[in-house]
Formats: sequence, C-alpha cells, structure tokens
Amino acid sequence: MTERSERHDRVFWSSLFSSRQDGIRWWWIAGALIVSAVPLLLAPGQLTTFVLLGLSAMAVVGLSLLMGYAGQVSLGQASFTAIGAYTSGLLALHHTPPLLALLAAPIVAALAAAGVGVPILRLRGHQLAFATLALQLILLSVLGDADWAGGAVGLQGLPYLSIGGFELDADLDYAYLVLAGVLLVSLIAHRLVRSRVGRGLRALATGETAAEASGVPVGAYRLLVFAVSAAFAGLAGGIYSFFLGYLAPGSFPVLLSIEYVVMAVVGGLGSIGGALLGAALITVVVQLLTTLATQPGMPSYAPSVLSYAVYALLLIAVVLFVPKGIVPTLRRSS
Amino acid sequence: MAELLQYLVTGVGIGCAYALTGSGLVVIYRVTRVVNFAQGSFAVLAALTVTTLLGAGLPHGLAEILAVLVAGLIGLLCGLVATGKPGTTPQTALIVTLGLGVLAYAVEILFWGDQPRSFAGLAGSTGGVQTHYLLIIGVTAVVLAATALLFARTDLGRALTATAADPYAARIVGIDVLRMGLLAFAVGGALGGLAGVLITPVQQVSFDSDVALVVNGFSAAILGNLTRPALTLAGGLLLGVVQALVGGYLSTSYQSEVALIFMLAVLVARAGRRGVLEAA
Repeated sequence: MTERSERHDRVFWSSLFSSRQDGIRWWWIAGALIVSAVPLLLAPGQLTTFVLLGLSAMAVVGLSLLMGYAGQVSLGQASFTAIGAYTSGLLALHHTPPLLALLAAPIVAALAAAGVGVPILRLRGHQLAFATLALQLILLSVLGDADWAGGAVGLQGLPYLSIGGFELDADLDYAYLVLAGVLLVSLIAHRLVRSRVGRGLRALATGETAAEASGVPVGAYRLLVFAVSAAFAGLAGGIYSFFLGYLAPGSFPVLLSIEYVVMAVVGGLGSIGGALLGAALITVVVQLLTTLATQPGMPSYAPSVLSYAVYALLLIAVVLFVPKGIVPTLRRSS
Repeated sequence: MAELLQYLVTGVGIGCAYALTGSGLVVIYRVTRVVNFAQGSFAVLAALTVTTLLGAGLPHGLAEILAVLVAGLIGLLCGLVATGKPGTTPQTALIVTLGLGVLAYAVEILFWGDQPRSFAGLAGSTGGVQTHYLLIIGVTAVVLAATALLFARTDLGRALTATAADPYAARIVGIDVLRMGLLAFAVGGALGGLAGVLITPVQQVSFDSDVALVVNGFSAAILGNLTRPALTLAGGLLLGVVQALVGGYLSTSYQSEVALIFMLAVLVARAGRRGVLEAA
C-alpha cells in the first residue's frame, strides 16, 4: 500500500466517523424518529413485513450505491444475502456466540465479493449482469448439493440472537435491530458518498478515462463499493437467519436479486433515500396486494401473479418514464 | 459405445435449443444492441401455448407452428415496449426486458399455473436414441440455415444487416431503423419460441425455466461476442454435449454449473484481453 493511499484511507475512515453532521438534513433525523415509533403500532403479521422490508432496504442501499455510483448492474446481489445468512446460520449452529456469528455475516460477504470482484468487475453492462446472475445460480446449486449446508432442506433450528444475555425472541426486538441496521447502513453509505471515494466514483461515472487520468484508482474504488454493498446484503442475511430461524437455498432465489434491482431503480439509483423509499414502496404495495389476493374467493395463484405483475409493471414504467427514479426526480422538481 | 453415442445425440439435441435461444439473442443484439433478458420467456410461453392448443384438439405440427408464430408476435410486442419509446438506450432497454421477463411469470402462472408441463413429441426410438432428438436436430439445422439465408440473400435481411452494421448510415439510405429493430425482436421471439417448442417433449417446462434457458443461450452466444451466429451455434452444441457428458459420466448435479463456469471463463478471458477501456 502506498503512502498516498494510506493517507487517503485515514481521511476516508475519519470522515466516516467524524462528528461533523454536514449534509445530514434535519428531516433525516425526524424521519428516523417517526419510523422508530412505527413498530409499536403494528400487528404481529405486519411486524414481520416491517422486518423483511428493513432487510430488503439494507441490501438495496448497497445495490443502489453500486448501480448508481459505480455503474455496475448486479443481478446476483441476493447471493451476498445468502452468504451472510449461511455464515451466521452455520456459525450459530456450531456454537459460536450469536452476536459473533452475526458480525461475521457482513465480513464474509464482503470478502466473498472482494474475491469474485477481482475478475468479475472487469466486465461491464450486460456482461456483468449475466456474470453476477451466473454466480448466484452456481452458489444456489452448490448450497443445494452441500451436505455441510443442509442441502436443499437447508439449516433449521437456529437459536435466537442474544446480546449480552438478552435474548431477542420477539418480532419487536428484531424490528428495532433491523431499524438500527438500516440506520447504520445508510450512515456508512452517506459517509462513503461524501468521502474522497464518493467524489472519485462520481468522476468515474461521468468519464472513466478522465477519472483514471486524474489519478482516481478506478479498479480499487469499484471493488470497494462492490464489497461494501455485499457487506450490507450480508448483514441483512445474518439478521434474516436469526429472525426466521431456518434457511434454505430457496430462500434466496434469483427473483430476490431482481426484486432488489426493482426497488433500487424505482426509488432512484445512487440515492440512499431512494433506496429506502423503493424498498418501502414495493414491499408495502406487494403486501397490500397479497392481503387482497388471499381473501376468500380469490384463486390460489393470485398472490404470486399480482406480485410478479407489480414488480414488472413498476420497473418498466419507472425505467421508461421516470428514468432517474422517484426520489431524485422529486428532489429536482421541488 | 452405444452409451456415448446416446449422450452425444441428446447433448446435441439440448444444445440445439441453446443455439436457437442464443441465435435469438444474437439477432436482436446485432440489430438493436439490446441484450434481451426476456429471451427465455419466449420459449416458455410458446411451449405452454402448445399444451393449450393440443388440449383444444389441434393436431401436432399445426399447434407447434402456431405457438412459434405467437412467440414471434410476443417478441414484437417486447421490442415495442423495450425500444419503441424514442431515446431509449440499450442499457435502459435491458432493464425493461428484465421487467418483461418478470411480467411473463405473472401471465404464465395466471393462464397455466405454476406446475411443470410437457407434451408428447415424436414417439419411438432410433438406434437407442429417442427419435425426437433427431427431429430437434433436423429442424434446428433447417431453421438456422434459413435464417442465415434470410440475412444474406434477401433485401429485408440486407436491411437488417445494414442496421446492425451502422444504424446511422442505414437511416440515411432510407431504412426504418426502428422497424428493423422490431422485426429483429419478432425473429428473435420466434427462434426462442421454437427452442421451447422443440425441447419441451424431452424436458418439462415450468414458468421459471426461462432463467436456465436464457443463461445457457447467453453462454452460447457470448462465445461469438453476441454477434456471430455460427459461433453461437457452435457454442450451443458444445454446451449441450459437455452437459450431457458431465451428466452421464460424472453427476447430474454439476450439469448446470458447466455452462455457467464456461460463460464466466469466456467473459473474463475476453475482458482481460481487451483491456479495461472498451465499454460493453
């Protein structure tokens, strides 16, 4: 590592944790306070939706950074959710303290991303899209065949998460854990965007050759964002494993990756608020339609048909008519 | 020996389906620069349409041909949504086709449910191999040869090729570039539909079979950088045969990984050779 990049690393990390609050608007804080009251008002079934929404939001914040800033389309982001979930699950089943198992999830996911990222991130556009999709299919197939991962049945009987003797065994506990996770992820993403890395990435997005000529370490930054986005997805996966208590390869289908892409695109790529709004909007709409579709008298296939239709139509409509996504478009017109 | 022959023939048969799917991707990509993620859905929709038409009492042959035409029409509609709006970039269109693929799931489950379906193909066996595989190989050979002739020998084909080579120059000489793109989508849809119609009798199809098909088709086409039909055919056959041999002699669970790892290797090797500057 050169002296220059060391200094730059210090700048980046100190800016990440510095107390300067520039750029964090007051309505972010107000929004966080309002949302933190929401779990108290929800019925048990709605709490589950809330938790799953938060987990999606964590992964989507990372994906939105990756797609918006590094210009990389990943159709395999759910692989990192799966890696995080299996990391936590396997460690917890092998008598690792649950908190350690949870912390390992984002780390292992980031390492996996850094590993595959070196060859894969040389690809662009549709090639990277297919490559990430292929990696997820390989991962699912390997997990489905692996005896150590429980094969197609997966892992069952995972313990609850416990932090210092306090066991998180209620949905409400997980709602707040997820909320904390979303806040942490958003804060890291926010700092990353505002840092030297973020400026370098913006330069990269406007002109790769120019950025490279100006000394932006293009490859390293791409890899960094890829690893960070994977860590976010991995953390979501780790919490997911403790929340549900069982895992299977089928919990992380290709469709989950596509769902993340839909959420990121609908909210607005490269916007943290957009990622959160996209995740919330899609989850709530799909949940409302599912409730509607499971009313007596509706055919059994109605929930899946409606949710697929919502993903598809929202994605197509936003891409064609609101290409920047909802949040950036609103921000610009206001 | 008989075993090896059997694996080779079934491999070539399955490979033909990949080659057809890949050729559809190539036709669309060459003319419009759009990588069509919904390519696998054409196959699934056509195959499911055949089950309905056969159920309605249509004879074999007619049902299959009608289904391929339906797939062509669906391809045209996809092209209209993905490229019809002026100013749509190929990157945007890629995301749109992704959405269309998901929309196809909704349509398929609505009309045909989420259980795998199949229909009877050519019965009997020839030399220890299901005769249907020979039908797949024969039809694919004829259709791909006809497509090659269409592109090389007809005015329409030349207009398509001109659009592929240089859309701007094509527009100057009076070729309607958008219409050519739609035509490419229709041809691509029909080729994808044919793949589904041919392969369903030997391999059940369900609404989410499209992912495996489009990934295998892409793997076949990537060998020729999505622009070379002959290499796509070669890639498809290679993938089919290698998968059949791996499935036959090693384990069926590694079959799908073969195509995926092959595709990743080709992609990464090519990216390394080309350097980082060329954007895809």
